[in-house]
Amino acid sequence: MSVLEVRGVTKRFGSLVALNDVNFTLTENEILGIIGPNGAGKSTLFNVIAGLDTPSTGDVVYRGRSIAGLRPDAVCRLGIAKTFQIPQLFPRLSVAENVLVAALYGHGASLPDAERQAHEWLAFVGLDGKAGLAAETLSVAERRRADLARVLATGAPLILLDENMAGLNQTEVEAAVALLRKVRERGRTLVVTEHIMLAILGLADRVVVLNYGEKIAEGRPADVMRDATVVKAYLGDAHG
Amino acid sequence: MAEWLALAAFAVLLVLPLGIGPYPVRLATVIFMWAALAGAWNLLAGYAGSVDLGPVVHYGVGAFATAAFMLKAQLPFLVSVVLGGAVAMVIAYALGTPTLRLRGAYFAIGTLALAESAKEVALAWDRFVPFPLTGGSAGVSLPLATGYVLFYYVMLAVMAGVTGAALSLQRSKFGYGLRAVGENDRLAEASGVNIHRLRRRLYVGSAFAIAVTGGTAGYWLSYINAAEMFSTAMTFQMVVMALLGGLGTPFGPVLGAMFLTLASEYLGTRFVYYYLIFIGAIIVALSLFAPAGLSGLVQLARRRRIEGAT
Repeated sequence: MSVLEVRGVTKRFGSLVALNDVNFTLTENEILGIIGPNGAGKSTLFNVIAGLDTPSTGDVVYRGRSIAGLRPDAVCRLGIAKTFQIPQLFPRLSVAENVLVAALYGHGASLPDAERQAHEWLAFVGLDGKAGLAAETLSVAERRRADLARVLATGAPLILLDENMAGLNQTEVEAAVALLRKVRERGRTLVVTEHIMLAILGLADRVVVLNYGEKIAEGRPADVMRDATVVKAYLGDAHG
Repeated sequence: MAEWLALAAFAVLLVLPLGIGPYPVRLATVIFMWAALAGAWNLLAGYAGSVDLGPVVHYGVGAFATAAFMLKAQLPFLVSVVLGGAVAMVIAYALGTPTLRLRGAYFAIGTLALAESAKEVALAWDRFVPFPLTGGSAGVSLPLATGYVLFYYVMLAVMAGVTGAALSLQRSKFGYGLRAVGENDRLAEASGVNIHRLRRRLYVGSAFAIAVTGGTAGYWLSYINAAEMFSTAMTFQMVVMALLGGLGTPFGPVLGAMFLTLASEYLGTRFVYYYLIFIGAIIVALSLFAPAGLSGLVQLARRRRIEGAT
C-alpha cells in the first residue's frame, strides 16, 4: 500500500521553477533516497511535503488524504516529521526537553509518558549521556542525532531526513547509516536526501533523482548510478 | 526552595494589613499592582518570546468596562471587575488572532500601534457611539470606595495568580510548548505545536489579569481617563520592571516591581525634583552589570555560596 503520493507537484518562486511536475509514490517501511546536485529542488520537495511550502500546482496525498496546504504542525500530527538541513534546536532547553516537546505535541503524550519516551529516544540515538545539558552545547554531529531523536519522538511513521549526514566524517556516516537501518526496523518509513553517494547506495531501497526541479530518473540505486542522464547531471558532458 | 519562601511571604501578606497603618498598605498595593502587570507581560515575553508593546489595551478595556458595569448596570465592584476581565478576554481573542501571527519586531510594532489606536478610539468613543462609555477626554468618575484594604487583597490575588501561572509553566505541557515557541517557533511548529493557538491562549489569559488590574486601579483612583489608562508610559514601566527583575523567571517581575516602586518612593521624597535621574541611572547600571536582572543576581549569589561551601 502506498503511504505517500506526490502527484504532479510544481513549485514556483516568482519566475523560478523549483519543482516541475514531480511524481513519485512511497510504500510502507521502505527507504527512499532523493538525490540531485545542489539546487535540484530536494529541500523544496521536503518543504512541500512537510507543509512548510504550498505547491503551486499538484497534490500531496498521505494515506489517501490530501495534505497540500496544511500547516506544518498539522502535517506533523498526521504522521510526517522532518529534520532540518541546518539542524535546529531549542537552544536553551535541555537536550531531553528538546525531544520532550516533540513527544508532547507530536502525538499528544502526557508529561510522564513524554519524559520516558524522550529518554528512550535519546538512548536510541546514543545521546543519553547528554540529556541534561543545554542543547546549544552540542556538536554538529550530536545536533544531527538530537534532531533525529526529536523527529522519532513525534511518533510520525513517515520521516523526512534532509541531509542528516552533512558535515559528518567517515566513521560518523557509517554510524548514521546503521542508525537509520535501525529506525526502519522500528517500522518507520524514511525519505532521505543526501550528497554522500556511498551512504545512499548502502541505505536506500530506491532512489529518485532530481535535476533543475525535474525527476530525471528513478529506480534501484545501483541502476540509477549507471544511468547516462544521471551521470551527465552530476558530472557534465565531458566526463569521458 | 523559592516556592516555599514565596508561599510563606504570601501567608504573611495575607494578614499584613491587620498590623500596619494605611500608608504601608497603600504602598504594598502599588507594588502588587505593578508586580501583577509586569508578571502578566513577562508571561508572554519571557516564556513565549512575544514582546507585546500594547498591554495597556487590556488595562484600559478593563478599567472602562469595570466602570461601565458599576455605573450603568449598578453591579457590585467584584462582579464588575470579573466581567471587565471577561470583556478584555473577548477583545484580546479578536485582536490576538491576527496580530500574534506577526513575528519578532513586527509583533512589537503592531501591538504598539494597536495601543495607540485603542487610545484614540477610547477618546473618540462617546462622540460617535450612542452608548457613552469613556467620557472622551473628560474621563469617567467612579463612586468613592470605602476603605483601601479591598484593593490590597484584589491586587495581592492578581499578583499571586500571575506568579502561580508562571510557576505552573515551569513544568507543564503548555509551558514546554510555549518555551519551545519562544526559542524557535519554526522548529516548534515542525514538532507538532500549534504555535498560534498556544500564543493566543496565553495572550487571552494574560489579558484577563491585566484587565482586572486596570479595573481595580480605576475604582481605587475613582477617576479614569483614556489618555492615562491607555498610556504607553504604563507599558514601558511594565517592561522595565520585568527586565530589571529577570525576564522569563516567575519571581523576577515581583522583585522588579518591589525594587522600582520602593526606589521611586524613597528617592521621590528625598529628591523631589531630580529623583528620576537617579532612577534612570539605577536602571542603566543594573542593565549593564546584571543583564539577567535581580533574579539573576540572586541565583549568582546562591551559586557563589554553594561553591564557597565546597
